[in-house]
Amino acid sequence: MGKQTLPFSQRLFRALVRVLPFDFRINYEGEMEGVFREQQREVEEQGGILGAFRLWRETIVGIFTTAPREHWQILTSDFGYALRMMRKNLGFTVVAILTLALGIGANTAIFSVVHSVLLRSLPYPQGQQLIFIRQQEKKIGIDDLSFSVKEIEDYRAQNRTLSGLVEYHAMSFTLFGHGDPERVRTGVVSANYFDLFGVQPLLGRTFLPDDEKLGAPPVLLLSYEYWKNNFGSDPGIVGKTFEMNDKVHTVVGVLPPVPQYPNENDVYMATSACPFRSGKMHLEDRDMRMMEVFGRLKPGVTVAQASADVSTIAAGLKAAYPKSYPENVGFNSSASPLQEELTHGARPTLLLLLGAAAFVLLIACANVANLTLSRMAKRERELAVRSALGAGRSRLLRQLLTESFLMAFIGGVLGLLLAYGSLELLTDFVGRLTPRAREIHIDSQVLLFTLAAALGTSIVFGTLSALFSRANLTSSLKEGSSGAGTGYQQNRMRSALIVCQIAFSFMLLIGAGLMMRSLFKMQQVDAGIVPQRVLAMRTTFNWSKYTEAEKTGVIVEKLLERVKSEPGVLSAAISSRYPFEPEMITGGPESVSFSFQIEGRTLEPGQAPPVSTFAAVSPDYFKTLGIPLKGGRLLAETDSDKLKAPNVVIINEAARHQFWPQEDPIGKRVSADGGEHWAIIVGVVGDVREFGLDHAPAPEFYAAQAQNPQPSTLIVRTMAEPRSLAQALTRAVHDVDPQTAVTHILTLEQARYESMASPRVTASLLGIFAGLALVIATAGIGGIMALMVSQRIREIGIRIALGARPLRILQMVLGQGMVLTVIGIAIGIAGAVALTKFMKSLLFEVPPTDILTFSGVGLALLIAAILASYLPARRAATIDPNEALRAD
Amino acid sequence: MTKKRETESFLPLTPAIFHILLALADGEKHGYAILKEVARRTDDKVRLSAGTLYGNLARLEGAGLIAESSRRPEVVLDDERRRYYLLTEFGREVAVAEAERMEEALGQARAKKLFRKPKLA
Repeated sequence: MGKQTLPFSQRLFRALVRVLPFDFRINYEGEMEGVFREQQREVEEQGGILGAFRLWRETIVGIFTTAPREHWQILTSDFGYALRMMRKNLGFTVVAILTLALGIGANTAIFSVVHSVLLRSLPYPQGQQLIFIRQQEKKIGIDDLSFSVKEIEDYRAQNRTLSGLVEYHAMSFTLFGHGDPERVRTGVVSANYFDLFGVQPLLGRTFLPDDEKLGAPPVLLLSYEYWKNNFGSDPGIVGKTFEMNDKVHTVVGVLPPVPQYPNENDVYMATSACPFRSGKMHLEDRDMRMMEVFGRLKPGVTVAQASADVSTIAAGLKAAYPKSYPENVGFNSSASPLQEELTHGARPTLLLLLGAAAFVLLIACANVANLTLSRMAKRERELAVRSALGAGRSRLLRQLLTESFLMAFIGGVLGLLLAYGSLELLTDFVGRLTPRAREIHIDSQVLLFTLAAALGTSIVFGTLSALFSRANLTSSLKEGSSGAGTGYQQNRMRSALIVCQIAFSFMLLIGAGLMMRSLFKMQQVDAGIVPQRVLAMRTTFNWSKYTEAEKTGVIVEKLLERVKSEPGVLSAAISSRYPFEPEMITGGPESVSFSFQIEGRTLEPGQAPPVSTFAAVSPDYFKTLGIPLKGGRLLAETDSDKLKAPNVVIINEAARHQFWPQEDPIGKRVSADGGEHWAIIVGVVGDVREFGLDHAPAPEFYAAQAQNPQPSTLIVRTMAEPRSLAQALTRAVHDVDPQTAVTHILTLEQARYESMASPRVTASLLGIFAGLALVIATAGIGGIMALMVSQRIREIGIRIALGARPLRILQMVLGQGMVLTVIGIAIGIAGAVALTKFMKSLLFEVPPTDILTFSGVGLALLIAAILASYLPARRAATIDPNEALRAD
Repeated sequence: MTKKRETESFLPLTPAIFHILLALADGEKHGYAILKEVARRTDDKVRLSAGTLYGNLARLEGAGLIAESSRRPEVVLDDERRRYYLLTEFGREVAVAEAERMEEALGQARAKKLFRKPKLA
């Protein structure tokens, strides 16, 4: 009976029956149809629409009540069977589950980071409305110019796209009135700062507009952590007073435990309370830039519109104040989402790691599929018998999928534990790349991801193994033997899986290898200083006592004198910064760049002025750090008298090459304020990789600390291990002025080591992933070679019986392993060449297609493959032909 | 003892299952015949549909209460798709146990004079 001749009711019935499980249908569908036909005939005989209606109702209800029970029944029996099979093959099960756990764990861990840092919106109400505004001087390479008070006023008054605009800068102040004088990280913010972010205080209130008025009584907000750690969560803290900057500050509130951007601070004060920000110079001078600016978009406004808006304001400023915004620096401003601003440093690394983790999971999948296939070779007869006894193919597929899902699920749970355990480490690492790191946690979406990963994994490897075992089911009964020739196709599939594993492992190893080579190259770079036995300590004076340059000069001199008299000190200096200072590594050269003019040179219209980085140092800075003099003289004590002595600067070789390539710079004069003051170049020193070993030395101007007082860090070269002097040196600083806070004590070697933390952790993580992949892939090669040998045991026996020498057999098996490996490596090379170009920004002096890395990794993989194939090969070579022929 | 426990693990039976077992008590039948017999004997109170019938048959077969008969009717009468089911010894025991359970319940109801006008057996 052709299908097209079936009456509609029969077709409808067949369609209904499809909700029942396949196995059930196989058994009963025909009969059910028969019964239904009979019932229909009966109804027709009796006539009446009511009878027909009743039959359909009963039939539909019957099928839909039977279906769930039948499905459930099959599921439970599958699970039971799967558990029994897993217990029976415990070794296989454990290896498969561990492999999956590693793959899923790596992915869960990295995904939780990507999710928390890159995907989730900022933890503030309507976080996507928050933007970061930047001013730029593109022509001189300054990408992130801070704002002056005047500028902030202009942007606030003139913008049309923002519902609010706030400023922020961070300072270190000393807080008195709570035990020892304590240096507190202070965020200085607009009164509506927390309103703009949508942060409600935990206790008390946030700032009010009146707090920001000049001369208003200073008030403080405490961060949650500071309040908890330093005041034991004292509920009566509001109203308490502390002394800061010689003024009494009253605590008005405590912030809730929210992540603080852009920086974590201990306390917050309104702009009027900052002695610098409220000073005449900052209030009146448009060029005194120090602040960062955030805004909130008006509803419905896009970031692009806001960006165009602030750019228009910048154009207006340029026209109105040509002196502050010279044509030749390329001044402009733009807006970008705050979220992007906080995470762009982490994006390439995290995406690289996510890709690597996905590779590990793919390799794990391929490996488990392979293991399953190998086991299937042993179970083939069982499956074939089940199939012959009437188990439908889809029933077998379902059975295999149940088994793989169960393993993937257990693997997923273990993987989750693994991810959970590694979270702290990862947070620490990502903290070097983005301030959002502390938001990293495992939430419901990460759990969902893990579940999806486990499900996807089980479907991938379950289907792979089921598909390729099905082809052989019918043949394996006929062949009768557990080996001879089973599944040529299956072996080909296994080989293909191995090739994939090798290819992916190769790519991962290349990624890790490139990062390690890059790190190694970085470590080889000459930083231009002698970092051994040098200690750097941040010294923060009580600024309200040292508002004038002369007073600061005096205290600096006293301090250096006292420190130098300390036993064990070889030399000491004070400077505005030092090489590898963590803030400089994050900020980069542009954070301390300035533009200047060279006496006697005029710029073409539109030509960008020369730009250099700047540091203020005391005379012994070069001696203390071991920076060599290349020409002229170093700074001398006689330069110290600002009033009498002319301003002097020392430049580095990079500056000489860039600005005076043909002439001697000594004696030339430069000005940073349009010719009002000139400084004379008195010496040239060696280049220092101040901003990280991977940054080529930038032009540098060193001015005399006494003429440009910016004392920030005390640098000391010691005779013995520098850390041992830390306490004595802190005491010495306090001897000179007890109100000075000493923090950030770091040896230069530590700072240098820390400066490489990000590439090092990236390299280590990639290395771990690649190592995992290598282990999984080599175990895979070993496994498949062993299986091939056991399948061909009879054939090899015959060969030996016919006189093949063991060495020849050994070569044959090894050769087969090699062929797979070489094909895998060839594919891996193609993949790596295509992919590593995306790593370029993370590499230092190593091309993405570095020959040495590629050949080294290839060789390592080959050796690993030989070692893995050797055991099965030796087994093959030592086969006893008599036993082999007797064996079934 | 264990056997008793095994039969008891099925109790109480659903009306549909009990009547299917009952339908097979006097000889093997194919599906449609079971359905008809159950409907007839229960005065259409227990109505099976194709789905519920074979769902129950599958379970009974799985538990070994019924089995497929190897005997086929004459070729002419036989619909090739039809299978005949018979009550196994175990199935009979379960059905008896269920009947006894109901009998006992009925007895207790009578002892409590639940029926105001007890019918004579």
